[in-house]
This record gives sequence, structure tokens and C-alpha cells, in this order.
Amino acid sequence: MEAEINQENDTTIFTLDGRLDSHSAPLFEQQVNDYLISPSNHLVFNFNNLDYISSAGLRIILNTAKAYKPTPYQFITCSMQDHVQEVFEISGFDSFITICRTLDESLITLRE
Amino acid sequence: MEFHFQIRARCSELVTLHTTLMRLKKKWSLSSKTTMELNLILDELISNIVEHGDVEKDSEIDIKLTKKKAVITLVIMDDGPPFDPTVTPAVDIALPLEKRKCGGLGIHLIRKFSDKCKYTRVDNKNILTLKKILYEECR
Repeated sequence: MEAEINQENDTTIFTLDGRLDSHSAPLFEQQVNDYLISPSNHLVFNFNNLDYISSAGLRIILNTAKAYKPTPYQFITCSMQDHVQEVFEISGFDSFITICRTLDESLITLRE
Repeated sequence: MEFHFQIRARCSELVTLHTTLMRLKKKWSLSSKTTMELNLILDELISNIVEHGDVEKDSEIDIKLTKKKAVITLVIMDDGPPFDPTVTPAVDIALPLEKRKCGGLGIHLIRKFSDKCKYTRVDNKNILTLKKILYEECR
């Protein structure tokens, strides 16, 4: 899996491409951790090109949500493929993580 | 119909698992959804074995899938320490974020995506038998 990181105004956008499992998770976790130490930006994970997620990936998402919770910034996910969203829902993650349909929708949500 | 393969207990083997299942998808005309769910079940089991097993040993995991009408039976055999995933406590997915923990999610997904689960320990091997009903392919 590859993660591209872009900055758009006050928002950091991770665009994920490929499969997030216990093989690819350690590298992604390293990349994300830099942004979790003291968040100073909103954070969006764009899952448009993410084909697969396992519990190893969910663990990173959970830790990200926990790190963002006490901050004034928001953590949003968007553009999930159906089965990725199903894994999120089955795990109950949709109750505490904002899932937007598109990247544009997430950026609008952040401006509200 | 039977499909039998072995995988080494290493995370890098998840790539092999994926390509093997893509072959099976074609062979058995499985839907993308079923293939993804089989992949997830096996991924979580293999990742668990890698995490809890003896890393020095570089042991093999034996995977057998049998398809009979609209039911796939998976038999996963490994020689790691005894581990019965059918008796681990359920994850409470209704807990708020602050109380949620990472542990147990893999087993939770296995349970949700399979229809029946049985564990036995024979000759120092863990043998897990799972059944998966193919709802999509039956439609």
C-alpha cells in the first residue's frame, strides 16, 4: 500500500492506495504517527483507492481517532469502497468516525 | 471441489494469500465480495498465528477450502501454541471511542464473516474449521 500526503490549507490529506493489512500497516503507522504527536491540523484519510482493510488497519484508524479526540481539530475519512465501509460498520467504527462520501464533502464538513 | 495450499507464517505471505485467492475466485466463479471476505478471514487468522507463534520456527500454515453447493468449508491447520479463537471474549462494538480497544477486532471480523466455527487441537496442531454460506452466489 502507498500513502500520499498533501497539505491543503489547514488540512492534511492522506490518500491511500492498495491494501492495508498487517504486512503494510507498520509503514503506514510510522507515517501517520508523525501527525498524531501534537495535531495542529485537520486530518482526512481519502480511501478512494484503498481496496482492502483488515483489523491491522482498523487499529491505526482507532489510534488516530483517539489522538484527535481531545484536540480542536477533526479527523475525517472519505470515499470508501463498499466492502471497506462494511468492515468499518461491522466493527462499530462508524459510530465515532465521520465517513464522507467524497473528498469535497469532507472539506466542506471541515469548514462548517 | 477442493483447493489446497500452504503459506509460511510471515506477514509478507499475505501478498501470496491475495494472489492465491484471486486464482480461486476465477476457478470457482466467486463474487468479489465473497473473495474479499475469505481473504479477510484467512488474513486475520494468519496474522494471529504470526503474532502469537514462534518467529524463529518459520512454520507453515495449511489451508484447505472445499466447496459443496453454496457452502465453503475452510480448514486451517498450524503448529503454533494452542489458541482457540472460538472462545475469546466478544468485542463490544457499542462502546464509545474512549473505551474502545484494538484487541479482538480480528477475531470479531472472522466471526462476522463466517457462519460456523469449530476448533480442535490434534497432535500439537491447531485445527480450525469454518463454514461460509455463499449468499451472493445463490441469488
